[in-house]
Amino acid sequence: MKNNIIKLGLILAAFAVVACASLAVVYQVTEPAIASQAQDALNSSLKELFPEATSHEDIKGAVSSSDETVKIEEAYLVKNDLAPLGVAIKATTASYKGPATVLIGVRLDRSITGVHILEMSDTPGLGANAASSTYYVDKAKKITFPGQFTGKYITDKFEVKTDVIPITAATVTSKAITKAVKVASASAGEYLQAMALGTAAPSAISGASQEAAQPAAEATSGASATSSGSATTQPAKPAAETTSGASQ
Amino acid sequence: MSEEGKDTRSFWQVFKAGLVFENPLLVLMIGLCSSLAVTSNVSNGIGMGLAMTFVLLFSEIFISAFRKLIPNGARLPIFIIIIAAFTTIVDLVMKAYFPDLSKSMGVFIPLIVVNCIIMGRVEAYSSKQRVVSSIADALGMGLGYTWVLIVISAVRELLGNGTFAGIQVMPVSYTPILFFILPPGGFLVFGLLISANNAIKRSINKRETLAAKQVSDQQKAKENA
Repeated sequence: MKNNIIKLGLILAAFAVVACASLAVVYQVTEPAIASQAQDALNSSLKELFPEATSHEDIKGAVSSSDETVKIEEAYLVKNDLAPLGVAIKATTASYKGPATVLIGVRLDRSITGVHILEMSDTPGLGANAASSTYYVDKAKKITFPGQFTGKYITDKFEVKTDVIPITAATVTSKAITKAVKVASASAGEYLQAMALGTAAPSAISGASQEAAQPAAEATSGASATSSGSATTQPAKPAAETTSGASQ
Repeated sequence: MSEEGKDTRSFWQVFKAGLVFENPLLVLMIGLCSSLAVTSNVSNGIGMGLAMTFVLLFSEIFISAFRKLIPNGARLPIFIIIIAAFTTIVDLVMKAYFPDLSKSMGVFIPLIVVNCIIMGRVEAYSSKQRVVSSIADALGMGLGYTWVLIVISAVRELLGNGTFAGIQVMPVSYTPILFFILPPGGFLVFGLLISANNAIKRSINKRETLAAKQVSDQQKAKENA
């Protein structure tokens, strides 16, 4: 009896080893194709959001979500040569049957260039209509569910049934996608705000030099009184205060 | 394994049984969950049917070929390993080369592993039969599953969405009957198909008994003469 169990276990293990080995081979073959599919999908989505885009820069570390149920997966600063065009954010939130991933684009003027639903596993024919290119929430104008966000401003309400048309019989999905778009676009807005301040600072100093000069002078005089150990941090500190002074 | 319970039917007879008389969905009524869940459009129906047929075919071939090496005491876990391996292959291949289809089928491709049709056929048939009969059984059952899926999904997509395989077929003025896309619509269409299949079976049986009766009547007439 004992021998029999060991024998069965060994045979089972042999089958498992063969199965694992063959799966490893298939994985090796398909893995680059799956990765390039994902990369192609990202590139073409960015291109659709910003047709004039030529490059993008990863800015994930600089963008944070204001809502813990919406997770920012990826964030890109999309550029045409060196001029920034806007921000694209890939965000994930819980939808009806699992996570839904959306990609949104926000222009420098804070308008949404488009929303793409990259991944979702909601009910085919209902929630999955959110990702369908032939399902129109506005049949007369042929506007798809994600299509209706195009042209909205990030300061809009984003409320289902007031300014967002829901998908019939898929309220949970509609709300989840809308929330993801709202939170992600707000994050994009914050980044653009910070970027505008960062890049606007040199030109702002000349315009607001009178106001900016004083806190900066104070900061340096205050800092000079402290120990010289923090000398390396001093140049950054007044500069930060200069920008905040200019924004007011 | 003894060769006594060997299936003596021809390849074509075994294949045909899966299509109509022992159709896994309409007669055996196993594996219904995925078949109702994915059939809201035709491309899903075709994709699911073919993925299922692939897994069924290769699992049956493998298990039938190795049936003498698979010990009776550990057969179920071994079946599951083999089925899971082929399902994962289908899943990876679909993700790599048919990303749209893979996306729209979602979790139902990995769930083929626990589909009762495969487990049922492997346990009841291919673990006892020759490879050739197992191929016939797998193709019959797989295509029997596929055609039912295609019919259900065609009806549901046409009435529930006004399209066929994503192409608008119904006039624009047609208001889709959402009921057919929802789960109850799936059950309704499925029920109607079962009754249609029963009607087909009955008429075939009637014709065969009538033919048999005629033959016996003629023989009786001859005897009387």
